[in-house]
Amino acid sequence: MELTRGEIILILGLTALAFRIVPQIYFAGQKFPEPWDRLLRYVSYALLCGIISTTLFMKGASLESDSAPYRAAALIATMVVARWTRSALSGLILGTILVSVSSWLR
Amino acid sequence: MAFAQRFRQGMKAAIPVWVAFVPSSIAWGIAAQSHQLTLEEVFLMSAWVYSGPAQFAVLGPLTEGKSALQVLAAGTLMNLRFLPMSTALAPFFKGVKRLPLLLSSHVISASSFIVPYLQFQKERESEALTAGDESTRGYDNLAFFLGVGVTAFTVWVAGTMLGFSVALGFPPGFEEALKFILPGYFAGLLVVEMKGWMMPLICAVSLIAAIPGASASPGWGWLVVSCVVAFVGWGLEEWNLRAARSS
Repeated sequence: MELTRGEIILILGLTALAFRIVPQIYFAGQKFPEPWDRLLRYVSYALLCGIISTTLFMKGASLESDSAPYRAAALIATMVVARWTRSALSGLILGTILVSVSSWLR
Repeated sequence: MAFAQRFRQGMKAAIPVWVAFVPSSIAWGIAAQSHQLTLEEVFLMSAWVYSGPAQFAVLGPLTEGKSALQVLAAGTLMNLRFLPMSTALAPFFKGVKRLPLLLSSHVISASSFIVPYLQFQKERESEALTAGDESTRGYDNLAFFLGVGVTAFTVWVAGTMLGFSVALGFPPGFEEALKFILPGYFAGLLVVEMKGWMMPLICAVSLIAAIPGASASPGWGWLVVSCVVAFVGWGLEEWNLRAARSS
């Protein structure tokens, strides 16, 4: 059966909604056993790090090798300052300035 | 705390997310226009699917006439990440009625997960010290979550429509900064809350290993690699803990 683009988008939205809703139906307000709580935390954080990495360093399947070292340096500076000041925003401001300056100088 | 006050608190925490969403949503709108999606399809995709990485991943296959199964498989794999994120948020919504909870869950995204999740964890720890009652916090937490989620969702949808309608370009020289904001903010939030040694290790390995993963398959390679890293790290920690208990 051939599906139209609109139907494909509708089905895609339904699957996204299912992944968002199902845990709320079954687990809202429940406390997980400590090991499961930790596993969920680790999976979520690892996925976020995957998003950070692919957003910052990749274009499709290829590494943006020209800008990757500068972005990596800005990311490290962001993390160091955020940790040191206990403020994600302070780190972000510094990282954004660094990455802009490095792109203007190149 | 009043619902509106807590919602505003969430909005305030979401400001960097809005700033980051503006360029990426406009970029997606422009890409969708260049791939000849209609205005209705663009709106449907942004408001109904609401998943940046999946939207970018399926744009090509969707408009190049690839099979529906291929498009759905790519998008669904990308959207799988919502499952652990939504599960991790669920315990913080204790006492919230089902309908508002189900409606609210539509705005779960990576940003509307991490900002509230870290905030709730911080609050749970400080409440544990002051013997607070977690059962009364469900609606408070929902208000904060909505402050982040609804506003970020609005910015995303509006941005894609704007990008579609006007082929807007940012002044040259600012693309790097705009590209950096969202991942930089995520990294800053994570690093502030890091404890112990396993979490930083998992984050560092996942950050590096996602690159070959994405090279192997840009759609879902990084996703599989990140999950494997988390499971291996967790397994090692569990094994260590059990060994320590039995000795």
